[in-house]
Amino acid sequence: MTIASDRLPVLAQAARRRVPLAVLLDRQGVFSWLMMALPLAFLAALVGYPFFYGILLSLQDRPVARAGTFVGLKNFLTDLHDPIFWQVAINTFVYTGVATLLKMVGGLGLALAMNQHFRMKNLVRALLLLPFIVPTVLSTVAWLWMLDPAFSVVNRLMVALGWPKPGPSWLGDPTLAMVSIIIINTWRGLPFYGITLLAGLQTVPQELYEAAAIDGAGGWHRFRFITLPLLRPIILIVTLFSVIFTFADFQLVYVLTHGGPQNATNLFATYAFDLAMGAGQLGLGASVALAMLPALALLIVALTIYMRRD
Amino acid sequence: MSATHHPTTRRGFLKVAAAGTAAALSRAVPAAAAEKTITILHESSFIKPFDEYVVNTLAPAYEKETGIKINYEVTSVGSLPTRISTIAETGSGADITMNGLLQVIQFADRYLDVGDMAEEIGKAQGGWYDAGREAVLVDGKWKALPFSNIGQLMNWRTDWFAEVGVKNFPETWEELHAVGKKLKAKDHPFGFELGHGFGDNHGWLYPLLWSYGGSEVASDGKTVVIDSDETARAVDFCRAFFKDTMLDDVLGWTDVSNNKAWMSEQISCTNNAESILWFAKREFPEIGKVTDQAMNPAGPKGRFHLLNSISHSIFSFSPVREEARAFMRWLMQPNQLGGWYAIADSYYQPLLHGYDNAPMWNVEPRNLPYREALANAHLPGWPAPASRQLAESVAKYVVIDMFAKACAGASTREVIKTAEAQLKGIYRSA
Amino acid sequence: MVTGHGRLQHVVRVWLPVGFFLLVALFPFYWMAITSIKPNAELYNRNVMPLIVHAPTLKHYVDLLTKSSFLLWTWNTMLVAVVATAISLILGTMLAYPLARMRFAGASLIAMTIAAIYLVPQPLLFIPLADIINRLNLGNTLTSVILTYPTMLVPFCAWLLLGYFKSVPRELEEAARIDGASRVQTMRMIFLPLCTPGFISAGIFAFTLSQNEFLYALIFLTKSTVRTVPVGVIAELIRGDVFYWGQLMAGALLGSIPVALIYSFFVEHYVAGLTAGSVKA
Repeated sequence: MTIASDRLPVLAQAARRRVPLAVLLDRQGVFSWLMMALPLAFLAALVGYPFFYGILLSLQDRPVARAGTFVGLKNFLTDLHDPIFWQVAINTFVYTGVATLLKMVGGLGLALAMNQHFRMKNLVRALLLLPFIVPTVLSTVAWLWMLDPAFSVVNRLMVALGWPKPGPSWLGDPTLAMVSIIIINTWRGLPFYGITLLAGLQTVPQELYEAAAIDGAGGWHRFRFITLPLLRPIILIVTLFSVIFTFADFQLVYVLTHGGPQNATNLFATYAFDLAMGAGQLGLGASVALAMLPALALLIVALTIYMRRD
Repeated sequence: MSATHHPTTRRGFLKVAAAGTAAALSRAVPAAAAEKTITILHESSFIKPFDEYVVNTLAPAYEKETGIKINYEVTSVGSLPTRISTIAETGSGADITMNGLLQVIQFADRYLDVGDMAEEIGKAQGGWYDAGREAVLVDGKWKALPFSNIGQLMNWRTDWFAEVGVKNFPETWEELHAVGKKLKAKDHPFGFELGHGFGDNHGWLYPLLWSYGGSEVASDGKTVVIDSDETARAVDFCRAFFKDTMLDDVLGWTDVSNNKAWMSEQISCTNNAESILWFAKREFPEIGKVTDQAMNPAGPKGRFHLLNSISHSIFSFSPVREEARAFMRWLMQPNQLGGWYAIADSYYQPLLHGYDNAPMWNVEPRNLPYREALANAHLPGWPAPASRQLAESVAKYVVIDMFAKACAGASTREVIKTAEAQLKGIYRSA
Repeated sequence: MVTGHGRLQHVVRVWLPVGFFLLVALFPFYWMAITSIKPNAELYNRNVMPLIVHAPTLKHYVDLLTKSSFLLWTWNTMLVAVVATAISLILGTMLAYPLARMRFAGASLIAMTIAAIYLVPQPLLFIPLADIINRLNLGNTLTSVILTYPTMLVPFCAWLLLGYFKSVPRELEEAARIDGASRVQTMRMIFLPLCTPGFISAGIFAFTLSQNEFLYALIFLTKSTVRTVPVGVIAELIRGDVFYWGQLMAGALLGSIPVALIYSFFVEHYVAGLTAGSVKA
């Protein structure tokens, strides 16, 4: 079938008109920015705007249901002179640091243990994830009971072995209270660490191990020079997630001790909440919450440097 | 022109009249259909029939009388401040609200001045308790109508106290201390909350401070006076009281802990609201039989209790403020108010002297101390008037942690200095 | 063939450590299960060994399901989690695909911004977000949390999917492009179907985070009918200072067992998705 010659120019023109738009959309830059437009707009509206609004709040004296007055850095100065603020800062760092370390080491151990062949492995894997799945507030309520000296299995054991009744006060002694929240956080997060590291372990090619074994490298040697380096990136990612979530933790402390005893378990998140919702001081609360930012950034930069160091 | 359209013919006239009436009626109907609604926000009551009384008895009665619908919105315990926050910030959502301890202070700017109503009600029903005034006066204006106190009292095990020869609850802190020593030796220690709860710690620590003559701020609402010999004496007593009579664990207790300890028979005395007795009577009748309630002990400078007041305010931006006023007037009359109080036995202690001898007090004699406690009940921060600084001090657990740190081993000097520094910071803008 | 000696070795090397972790992970669940079937009289009795139940009862489960709004809260939680996860996966993909596959000006800036958004934690945002939600009159609606949960989920999904996308070989896409397919078509028809494991792993994690969220739900959802399980349980199975322990523990188990079952079904994909994503990142 031939095309009538007088129709060709029209067709050619139509083709020309259609192609440029499609070509434009296919340009990497245009495609990318168009694609990212919606999510970026979403994040700008619901993260970016509140973030800058939060900064603005922190520079105001803003009682709830009243207009705010600009006070510059006054809130931050108040925080610097507030002994609770410093305790909260120390608590949060200690809590995050120790719990993350325990999760990393424990998670690695779990991953190594699980990286073997045995029956019911899938079932075990699913069961091990339960502490991570159960809503935190509910498991924390269970821990409230388990840490009551009158009911705690650990206390009963210790008393049976000669410890004076009723045994350690897990939530009454400031140090033990911090230990308790670290234990619960580790219990909750270790499975996630473990299963993720397990995934990483399973990608290490067996040949590497076999080659090293032939060369005479022992178990520990193989672990240090083959396993660990290959796991580095995945350890970094999981640790980053974990640090961010632990640093900003709220639920555990809110339910267990509400910051007590005497602020021994008070964290940035719980203190900011008390100031904003309890005292009705939105500006002061925002300033405490903002204080998390430099601390978090510092932690993450330090972590990244340490991890990249080779 | 037909006869039917001519108004002067009888048929025409009837038709026009009918049309006219129909028009008049149809104009009236929309007015009635656009009936008014008053939304009342309340925190879910510990006593279920209390909320039901509004929905099933009070609201229908008012609607019958005035045609105005009452919408009773209930929010769960602990969520009231958040809910009021939202309403106050957005300017809509409810017309009347219940207030807990701190909300009158925080939201005073959004509430109507109801002083005229309050004076009337007080005059008609025996006069307000001072505590009622204290709870709702902000800058000298009545920003709420006082409703009740939800008191905190001493709970004690009559059987165990009897074992050490004590038949009536001790009058003074010193006496209680002596009894506690004996009871701890018999494995029936005391358990008073010293952690970061919101009620069972306030219920005894603020009264303890006041009963020794100490206070955070002077009545001018500005001068921080916590550093005093009186405070030091209270702190020293508290430390000895803790060491000699209590479980170590109390330092980390929140409000639920003493309830749990009571039902598992770990403690012989604590400070609590009505919930221990109420729960014991239902779930553990044997324990309930030997549980009694008493007023806080007295110190050298008197006997005090915590004011945990409930009141009602009208939002100044409410489109139906006048109707809301009228409703509150109606609600606060003896017929309505009396019935509402009575249904919760004495869980809500009325702040009008007119109810001092109401029959509801006879239902559970063990609740009578709640009535006596009203005479010396005060807000945290007393004798300073209610202010937002008070809210900050409470949220930062200044007084609570002062006592708790001392009990945990810190020196009296140190804990008072810390509290003073904190209060000076908080009251800087007073 | 496993010899007697090998058997013992197997037990020690596998079941000793695995058993230890299982014990640590599951002991609190045993406690929850026991508590949920103990009558109050036994529960509060401190003279009885707490790990055993003498007169088990299903009363707490019955009360939980009939006297509280637990089933409604579960429905709300699941609905919110599914929708928020879906939104986050879609938006995450829209961010990750260009970053993984395209070269364009500003790419590294965007990547850094997403990482930075990570650093902005919930406790910082909840005050201004509460204000925004109030202004939009979305208080006490499921929309409030459906909109705000992705703020913490999208950066995470984008990050995870980015790593996964980078690990998928380009050959199929390149072939499609040569055949004349547009970028959109390539992405939709060729690329995305290959990424199912990545979506599953990101989706599962996002779903878990979503159903575990507490702070925003606490602030935005104050009416019982719109609450999710974490806040509903804390607000209503706890009346002031009276905890309904048995019901709380029953709620804990009922709230986590179904999700665990879903996990066990997907766990293979979850692992595969994470592996490819993280190691190459």
